[in-house]
Amino acid sequence: MKLNRKYLPPAFFNGSQPYRWAVLLCLLAWAVTAGACRQPSVEGILRIGLPEEPRTLNVWLASDAASRTVLRQIYQPLYEDDPETLEPVPWLAAALPVYDAARLTYTITLRPAHWSDGTPLTSSDVAFTARMIQEFKIPMLSSRWKQVERIETPDAATVVVHLKRPLATFLSRTLEAAIVPAHQWEPIAQAARESAKPLAYLLNYNMKDPVGSGPFLFKQWRRGDYLYLQRNPHYFATGQTIADRKMGPYIEGLLFKVYGTTDVAMLALRQGDIDMFWQGIQPGYVAILNKNPHIKVFDSQKSALYYMGMNTRRPPFSDVHLRRAVALMIDKGFLVDRLLQGRGTQLFSIIPPGNRQWHNPDVPRYGEGLKYRERLRRAYELLLSAGYSWEMPPFGSQGDIQSAKGLRRPDGTPMGKVIILTPPADYDPARAISGTMIQEWLQALGIPAMARPMEFSALIDQIKNRRDFDAFILGYGRLSIDPDYLGSFFESSGDKTRGLNTSGYRNETFDRLAEESQCAMDPVIRHQMIMEMQRIIMEDVPYVPLYVPNMIEAAYTARFDGWVPMLDGIGNRWSINMVRPTSGRHD
Amino acid sequence: MSADTNNRSAPSGAALPEAYWQSAFTESWGVLSRHTIGRIGMILLGLFALMALASFIPPLIDPIYNPMSGVDPIISYTSGPSWRHWLGTDFIGRDIFSQLLAGARIAFMVGISAAFMSIFLGTAIGMLAGYSGRWGDTLLMRLADMIMVMPTLLVLLVMAALFGQLNIWTIVLLIALFRWPGVARVIRSQTLTLKHRPFIESARIAGASHLRILVRHILPNVLPLALLYMSFRVTSAIIIEAALAFLGFGDPGTVSWGMMLQWVWKTGHMFQAPYWLLPPGICISLLTLAFYMLGRAMEEVLDPRMRREDPEE
Repeated sequence: MKLNRKYLPPAFFNGSQPYRWAVLLCLLAWAVTAGACRQPSVEGILRIGLPEEPRTLNVWLASDAASRTVLRQIYQPLYEDDPETLEPVPWLAAALPVYDAARLTYTITLRPAHWSDGTPLTSSDVAFTARMIQEFKIPMLSSRWKQVERIETPDAATVVVHLKRPLATFLSRTLEAAIVPAHQWEPIAQAARESAKPLAYLLNYNMKDPVGSGPFLFKQWRRGDYLYLQRNPHYFATGQTIADRKMGPYIEGLLFKVYGTTDVAMLALRQGDIDMFWQGIQPGYVAILNKNPHIKVFDSQKSALYYMGMNTRRPPFSDVHLRRAVALMIDKGFLVDRLLQGRGTQLFSIIPPGNRQWHNPDVPRYGEGLKYRERLRRAYELLLSAGYSWEMPPFGSQGDIQSAKGLRRPDGTPMGKVIILTPPADYDPARAISGTMIQEWLQALGIPAMARPMEFSALIDQIKNRRDFDAFILGYGRLSIDPDYLGSFFESSGDKTRGLNTSGYRNETFDRLAEESQCAMDPVIRHQMIMEMQRIIMEDVPYVPLYVPNMIEAAYTARFDGWVPMLDGIGNRWSINMVRPTSGRHD
Repeated sequence: MSADTNNRSAPSGAALPEAYWQSAFTESWGVLSRHTIGRIGMILLGLFALMALASFIPPLIDPIYNPMSGVDPIISYTSGPSWRHWLGTDFIGRDIFSQLLAGARIAFMVGISAAFMSIFLGTAIGMLAGYSGRWGDTLLMRLADMIMVMPTLLVLLVMAALFGQLNIWTIVLLIALFRWPGVARVIRSQTLTLKHRPFIESARIAGASHLRILVRHILPNVLPLALLYMSFRVTSAIIIEAALAFLGFGDPGTVSWGMMLQWVWKTGHMFQAPYWLLPPGICISLLTLAFYMLGRAMEEVLDPRMRREDPEE
């Protein structure tokens, strides 16, 4: 700031040292206090740390975790998963939808609800949201609404959805999408229609003041500093009981602060500068967090899949025997005990055991509980019987382990170098080091494996677009509860550029089951199909499921408590509705 | 700065008797070993060289001491120093001491080979530019200018992001490719002053080819200066490699000190496991310091005007 000579007494410029210092001090004090006052007062406000700056407030563009975290407090779905049973429970809807098999319709009744600007939330908003997603083919959402033929709104509280064909995932996937207000988005959609590229216009639209129906409404965003949400007085659920819980919110606002590094966030948490860090943390932090009596560490199961995928399109992994031998060699117990410090679960099927309803424990469990020598022996015998040969096999004449060399495939060609692509260690140390460990185990069998960490977007490009690789280690961090992803990961139609079937797996029986399971409206039959699909995949092992890390989260409980742990941790809608100030004492 | 390096050797040029080199070496060694900073530098270097050599031993004792893939069968978390693990274990039970030894080996390898390559390039290009003069000089020096202003670490990070993880030798080569211009400039100016000395003139009149003049007469006179620069280049190469590894772009197949720091940071043990955080950090600082001290001492050996104990100064 430039001081204007005219407004300052002459003493300031000539002589009088003390006076000059006093003025400067006053200015300094003013600057400091003004700086501190910029943030909203913290009384009754829950402060949450985010690992990165939200990218946008435009709900259609929000694909990053931070934006979604913020927008989830603003936009609400019709149904939400129960924290204990994981079954869908009515949220904006008043009851579970009524399915009419003859007419292929779902009838949904809405609760009386209002948008944060006071206008009522009606069936036309639901119809508008669906139409908009379909019309503009919005990425990630349009596939969920593809099977919807048309939507009727006989009255303000009733929505009738006509489907093109039976869709088992309609309730758990489609109806859990967030509803947006027609009165705010209709003019924008209209402008988008008139523009040259409607979808790009819509995605690039700079939404400054999103109107939602959630517990909080958007108030203020200072980029690089904080984002503030204030309690929504029109929130429909306040005081109501959903899934046996009396809904709040019991807090006045949410203040999101960005912490670029976990170390700084953990320091802020320990000092009580934030009440919770909305991000899973490394097990290494737990010991120091536990020393603080106010900090609660939550260790929740995750609906996630960390796996090694193999390219079944080309040798050497086009051979199922080799894939099974690889699966046998991988010591998942080691990965969980060491890399995850015991905070995780070994995976033997594609659907993680945390998803109790859909997980199939009855699949081939390669190498479970075997010692190193035993897994090496079994993998060796498996390859031997499949016609593989060695110049120097992994076992000597006395049955002693030796370093295997010169592995040849059944057709006599030498086994070339096998490269395992992994994300870089700074992205995820566990996956990068898993790659190194798997490299060592495969080398013991004579497979010249090499782990190569790669920058993440280059890695995805290599696997999904160029499809030029032998094997890779990746993970899906948040799998939906509904297992329809199982079909998309392995059905033949997904074996294309940018497709989800990254290993290029093709199996007609599986394709048929995947297709049928989507339309199976009988839950029992669908359950059987999903179990069978998991078994087929584990027979053929295009992916070797490795582990699922626990979601480790920490909250500072001196000011607020009442977090609701569920699958995927405490960062969920229920927590935000249930967290309340700790009675009496504040810090 | 040390433009007068050739004071001692200039009068006689290249064709010197063995005895001259011997006495020159003994004299230089004398100055170097009497120089306190140089002595500390050399002792430190000797220690690190010992560490690098010793890095081959632990894996032979027991495979659990393999710095990359060996893990303690019982300890599956980070633990402090003990008899079994002198500096403790990292988060999956690997021995930190053997990692530290292996890191010394990598640091030496990266530092010396990158420095050697950049000195080789810089000397060759600098001599060529200085000797050829005119547009050859202009061309080479403008190229040097262009490369000199590129931030090495940033370019390396971009490269690592583009081509996936870089192999340790690629990193060495890239560091060398980006660090030669400084050397080239100094060698060029030295060559320029040498070019017009009488002994070069006489060599030319005697019918020596350009190549012979460069190799037999100019090279021996710029070599001491090149060696001096080498010790500084080692320092910067080690620091660049450590920074790269710390940021997660090192060679994943090697255990370097930067990599150890990255592991301690990314696994959340930064403020909890000082026995894991401090050793690699201290080693990086001490090794670069050692090379720097040696460089300072060598500078005084090569430039008599800097010797403070010299009564004439």
